[in-house]
Amino acid sequence: MSSSVRSKNSRRMTPSYLFSTDHKAIGRAYFFLSLAAVLAGAWLSLLMRIHLVWPHAEIPFLGEIKPENYLAQLTMHGTLMVFFVLSTVPQAGFGTFFLPLQLGASNMAFPRLTAVGFWTALVSLFVLMAAFIVPGGASSAGWTQYPPLSALASAGPGQGLGTDLWLVSIGLFCLSSLMSAVGFVATTVRHRAPGMTWLRMPLTCWSWFVTSLLILLAFGILLAAVVLLMLDRHAGTSFFIPGGLLVSGKAIAHAGGSPLMWQHLFWFFGHPEVYIAILPAMGVTSHLLSVFARKPVFGYKAMVGATLAIGALGFMVWGHHMFVSGMNPYAGFAFSTLTTAIAVPSAIKTFNWVATLYGGRIRYATPLLFSAGFVSLFITGGLTGPILAQPALDTYLHDTYFVVAHFHLIMAMAGVFAIFSATYFWFPKMFGRMMNETLGRWHFWITLLGAYATFMPMHLLGIAGHPRRYSELSGVQYVAAMAPLQKFVTLAAIVTLVGQLIFLVNLFWSMFKGPAAKANPWECSTLEWTLNSPAPVEGFGDRRPQVNHGPYEYNVSLAEKDFVMQDAAAS
Amino acid sequence: MPIISDRVEVERKPRLGGGGPGKIPHRRGFGGGDDGDHGNSGDFRSREQRMRRYRVGMTLCIISVTAIFVLLTMVYVLRMGKGRFDEDAHRWVRDWIPLSLPYLQLWTNSLVLLLSSLTLELARRSMAKKEEFAAMGIVPPRFKRDLPWLGITVFLGFCFLAGQVLVWNILRAQGAFLASNPSRSLFYILTGTHAVHLVGGLVALLYAVAGRLLATKFESQRIAVEVTGWYWHYLAFLWFGIFALVHFARG
Repeated sequence: MSSSVRSKNSRRMTPSYLFSTDHKAIGRAYFFLSLAAVLAGAWLSLLMRIHLVWPHAEIPFLGEIKPENYLAQLTMHGTLMVFFVLSTVPQAGFGTFFLPLQLGASNMAFPRLTAVGFWTALVSLFVLMAAFIVPGGASSAGWTQYPPLSALASAGPGQGLGTDLWLVSIGLFCLSSLMSAVGFVATTVRHRAPGMTWLRMPLTCWSWFVTSLLILLAFGILLAAVVLLMLDRHAGTSFFIPGGLLVSGKAIAHAGGSPLMWQHLFWFFGHPEVYIAILPAMGVTSHLLSVFARKPVFGYKAMVGATLAIGALGFMVWGHHMFVSGMNPYAGFAFSTLTTAIAVPSAIKTFNWVATLYGGRIRYATPLLFSAGFVSLFITGGLTGPILAQPALDTYLHDTYFVVAHFHLIMAMAGVFAIFSATYFWFPKMFGRMMNETLGRWHFWITLLGAYATFMPMHLLGIAGHPRRYSELSGVQYVAAMAPLQKFVTLAAIVTLVGQLIFLVNLFWSMFKGPAAKANPWECSTLEWTLNSPAPVEGFGDRRPQVNHGPYEYNVSLAEKDFVMQDAAAS
Repeated sequence: MPIISDRVEVERKPRLGGGGPGKIPHRRGFGGGDDGDHGNSGDFRSREQRMRRYRVGMTLCIISVTAIFVLLTMVYVLRMGKGRFDEDAHRWVRDWIPLSLPYLQLWTNSLVLLLSSLTLELARRSMAKKEEFAAMGIVPPRFKRDLPWLGITVFLGFCFLAGQVLVWNILRAQGAFLASNPSRSLFYILTGTHAVHLVGGLVALLYAVAGRLLATKFESQRIAVEVTGWYWHYLAFLWFGIFALVHFARG
């Protein structure tokens, strides 16, 4: 292709953002979408923590938080964080940006589909946030939207238009994720560069691939379930609404539905969703630990196998969210056994991460710190997993802060740490500048200590029997005794959240004023680092990289440097 | 038997560690990255690559749609069995009222859909043939029997949709509405969801039919017909699955 044609091509792919089909522009746009969502979600968590400790505090502009407001904040915090942060930025954000680059492709397989996916996600976020300004406010049924509360508009102030908006928003989000996932899988299957065999793909690509498969199966199911719930709400069907309900003294006409069926459908999506959030985080961690320990990933094939195993097992364990729903003990036993079985691939991964670090010449850069933080939080949060997988123990702990501690450590905090490490690591490739290391270290230590200070005491609260989800329990004597600990948690949460300002300052300052980045500042061997920083609009252009090496060839004594790029000439 | 084997012996390279095998990529497999295409896969924009990419994409869509219909089938079976034990009557009471299906209309629709599947396959094959001729640089000769199979398929597709509307009208005339009983709700939802997916296929086919108006490349038309063909056959198969479900599991 002549140079004039090529420049025409580059012009067409210029990231004008609107209607751009360049995967890098879309990836960056997803990053900022999630940044907006995480700010809103964090603000809500701050409001909730303050309300739990000082229930009658006057919040500026909002006044005193009423119980229904608290429940709406709870719902929206969960929805924003799970859907628009944890399952968006590690997969759709970094994935859209780096999957084609790491595979040596010039774009995603279906660029327009990927672009439409992003715009659908943006509309979905607007629809969700609109719930705050409609009469009645946002839905208060939790991010799981259990019926009958979620199915009856008369059941609460946020259960009218607020819940409708929630359902529409999540329906759109499902479509968006499906569109994005089709592009991911097709790119991975069809557009790997010559020589990039399946077992030469970086582990990030493997986890994006497996996650996309999970999305294809899980989000279609949530979409169908949301449509059924919408029909229950507006078309008079009775899938999830049982008979004989009285709301405010008025009998409900629906009969014969089963609220438990929603739980089954929701968690059949909801548990894979947990892995949709955490698998990309695991992939990033594996990748970064290897880069910064200057060692090959320990047990590459075992890592791939564990990723696939976690993906497959993820579809068989949804029942462990429903141990207290009165399920048959035999079913509970099966779910419990399968859930415990997930500890095996998880332990393989954890072992391999530690073994990757062991004996490495570790470079203590901020991305490494956050990746090591991920491993730490994953272990801490993971150890309570087998406890909650026992139906007998779960019956006691299910509705307590123990569960809050568990999923915030293993899903939320671990996920966020991986997002941070990926941001610090890939920032040069995304924005062409380096982030500040000193601020990064301050950010890491405050966040690590803050995360532990916030969520570790919640285990104790849970074991002592402090129920979750309630807006205020000041009249209950045994709960009142735990008030000092709750106050400590709130203070820790405030410190942690304030500490995130360091990250925001670092992010935006570095975006415009940071030192210009070299093409390969971390001396990483994968293909995206063969390009300039920031990644040029045309990507690899007309060049198709020829891959001759595995993804993690570090500490190679024969090479001039201590690593071999994937597209280096075969030795 | 050839005397010289075409298999080239390659010296196994030492493994440098870190992931993949250090040998040359294996020759059989699927996908890019040398699996199966011997490193001569052409660039991202090549015709063959486009077709393969869309085939993979369609396979993924079919997987996802299957998940939705598996879920709806599960809801159907669970909702049908749902009931309560009536202590006074000492028996299991269900609120599921079996639906009397308009079989004549349903079988007619099935036949129309099956026919459309057949005509679309003929359209697909004739386009594949044209493509082969074009690749050889020959202007494809006009066959007398080369009917506008694509147009016929679109017509039959619309006939099927109209037939489904007729089915719904017959049911409504019987007093079977979406909200009247779970058996009705699920019949409407299953057939409705199927119809919505079929409309998607029709849009793709209309894009291919209107190719001349939109000045679409033959190659794009060919891809649209090829992958919509897969989808269309799948939807026909799915339709018989739904028909079997509502027939054999009437309750």
